[in-house]
Amino acid sequence: MNNSTLTWLNIATFLLSFIFVSFTSNAAEHTASTTMPKKLLINATKIELWKDKEWLNLLHYKGDGNSYLSQVDDPRFFNAPDGKSSPQNELIASLTSFYNTDLSEPDNHTQCRFIARLHWLQKQLPDSLTQLPTVNCPQYNDWRKLVPGHKASLIFPAYHLNSPSSMFGHTLLRIDPADDTSNSSWLSMAVNFGANIQASDNSIAFAIKGLAGGYSGTFIVTPYFKKIKEYNREENRDIWEYPLNLTPQETERMVLHLWELKDINFDYYFFDENCSYRLLELLEVARPSLTLTQQFGLTAIPIDTVRSIDQAGLITGTLYRPSQATNINHLLEQLTNSQKSLVLQIARDADTINTDTFKHIDPAKQSIMLDAAYRYLRFQQNDEGRTESNAKNSFALLQAINKVPDFKSPEASYSAHQKPEKGHLSKRLDIIAGNNRVKNKASNEETNREYAQLQFRMSFHSLDDNIDGFLEGAQINIGSISARAYKDEVQLQQLDFIDIFSLSPRNAFFQPLSWRVYTGLEQQFINGREHLTGHVTAGAGVAYTPWSRGYFYALATTRFESNSQFSRALEPALGYSTGLLQHFSFGTTQFEFSGEAFLNNEIRQRLKLIHNVPLGRNHSLQFHLNFQRQRNSQSPSQSHFETSDAQLSYRYFYH
Amino acid sequence: MKKITAGTFLLLASSSAFAVAPGGGGCGWGNALFEGQSGPAPHILAVTTNGTSGNNTFGMTSGTNGCSVSGKIGYSGQSMLASVMDEFSEDAAKGEGEALTAVSVAMGVQPEDRAKFAQLTHDNFNTLFPNQDVTAEQVYNSLQQVMKADAQLSKYAI
Repeated sequence: MNNSTLTWLNIATFLLSFIFVSFTSNAAEHTASTTMPKKLLINATKIELWKDKEWLNLLHYKGDGNSYLSQVDDPRFFNAPDGKSSPQNELIASLTSFYNTDLSEPDNHTQCRFIARLHWLQKQLPDSLTQLPTVNCPQYNDWRKLVPGHKASLIFPAYHLNSPSSMFGHTLLRIDPADDTSNSSWLSMAVNFGANIQASDNSIAFAIKGLAGGYSGTFIVTPYFKKIKEYNREENRDIWEYPLNLTPQETERMVLHLWELKDINFDYYFFDENCSYRLLELLEVARPSLTLTQQFGLTAIPIDTVRSIDQAGLITGTLYRPSQATNINHLLEQLTNSQKSLVLQIARDADTINTDTFKHIDPAKQSIMLDAAYRYLRFQQNDEGRTESNAKNSFALLQAINKVPDFKSPEASYSAHQKPEKGHLSKRLDIIAGNNRVKNKASNEETNREYAQLQFRMSFHSLDDNIDGFLEGAQINIGSISARAYKDEVQLQQLDFIDIFSLSPRNAFFQPLSWRVYTGLEQQFINGREHLTGHVTAGAGVAYTPWSRGYFYALATTRFESNSQFSRALEPALGYSTGLLQHFSFGTTQFEFSGEAFLNNEIRQRLKLIHNVPLGRNHSLQFHLNFQRQRNSQSPSQSHFETSDAQLSYRYFYH
Repeated sequence: MKKITAGTFLLLASSSAFAVAPGGGGCGWGNALFEGQSGPAPHILAVTTNGTSGNNTFGMTSGTNGCSVSGKIGYSGQSMLASVMDEFSEDAAKGEGEALTAVSVAMGVQPEDRAKFAQLTHDNFNTLFPNQDVTAEQVYNSLQQVMKADAQLSKYAI
């Protein structure tokens, strides 16, 4: 925005506020003659009540003390025409309209619409905010029967492999009633802030609009069991529940404010003003002494917000709801290979349980197999929809399960190192020292250069990062930039916009695709020196876990490169990428062969070796070895180079 | 935009009979084992967005989506059963679980009687679920009959 528009805006705002102040003072005089006490506005003005943090929180104002702007993008949320930018006028207009004597539509009366404001202002102005017209709020009262609000939990549905938009996780709140005798939170209410997405938007449109604030976001309140079904069963995401120590009064304040946000639109920004950020605002309304939102400027990654809430001392415990897939794997782990095969047979044909092979198995194992087969059928149906054979087999298995006396179905539990809030923070800074060697195979000349490199990554997790608290095999990096300094020059080494690598192991039960996509700028050695090139690289293939915590993968890849040394603007290539990723208790090792052949006969082959040693949660030492050979099959004598890079880096994670 | 989404779901919900309400946005169930649903649940919206879809955006249930406001939790026993039919059948077969608890709460069963409710549904699994094509309405009616015949739980039957 340039200066002249700014000035115009200022003038417009000034004029508007002038008109508005005259209007409200007239209105005030008018209503004051009936009900509004004269001293109300004087008292509110005397103590500059609109500067109070709680008022600013309730209206979602952000500002520097002089100018403010509310993050709510919906005129229905404000009583003053310039309420979005004027905490003062909004406060005065709110006070005034509490006295509105038109009670024909009580649900739309300011007392019913902005009930948290009313409560707070009544507390601040006990002597002057009096003689209010009595308004009943039927909709609000009905809603409160559904949302009693006594205590609250923070809910974190964890990452979902193979679904990029959920790879960052998600947060929502759950509001529980005082009555805990139901022993179940299924009927509690979940509070979710989300974008209103058009069904027709594909994932690219989703990403662009999501980043640019092209979606509006609203709060949704639904029974918690729907969320359990959605995340645990439909999306196969583990759910982590963190009970909070909010008092009943604090929870009540939050619920009152939630009602004010019913159907109210915010612009939704995927990275910062997102689902998790808005929950932090709710918590600040609940407990005004909290300062959570100001910790998040550039990004509000869900799990980082969980950590902040934890650090603020709000979290009192951890509960874990494993997904259907996690439970299936947990059951399968207790079986031998032949028993696993039998589970598959049972899922295909439930009559298998009447065979001698099955009947001769130890009854405890039989139960596990019935449970696994049944759950696996449900998992399949979730993907494929209801089929007659699935329904028939599922039903037969339920009947069999029903006949087992005292059937126990223990769900998967978690170990301490899996707790997502204990994982490394999302931003990363690397300090790298390296050595770059280039050998011209044609001339046999060799150069050797040392360098220092600085790298920043906005978010989130790489396969070779400290693994505790993260899903194995899921890499998602957004916004990564590195600069390299040789003795005589400094250059932009790499700029990755997005880098997703989803390693989903296949076995007899699950056959997901593994895939990778990354795009950005990077230095490529060609014609005797490095050149900055742009590229989009994508691949798909398979992954297996031949042994515990080891991932073998093989992907076919394709690459489009924009390289100043190539004659085409965008040179296409086909390639491969295969490797082994192994997590140990002391670190992670990755070993990868990859390569591609361009249409112009340029051929590259790479060997990469990485070893990462975590030094506590947010630090690590990493060793990289890259070896690359390239040549052009048309003119092998002219362009044939071998480059190698050895790096030692220190990595620091923060948010 | 939102109106279109909500409208679509409203249309989906209202065009479906109670027993065939879609999963995802409405109050019915999606990938149920039992008859009455077609294809994968229309949860695609929610899947990709952490997001929002559906017509009861603020927990306010109404007749249009197969749920009715009754009692303090807003779900009648029948609508609750229909919403978690799949989970309910699994818990009934196993004899324990949160779906059993949720349905019993929705039916007004007091805490001291819920273990008995779980026992009853477990013991009468074959009556409640005679085949894989049974509808939620049929299960609910059978449940009423079974409860009426039980000394401890008959007071909750309608």
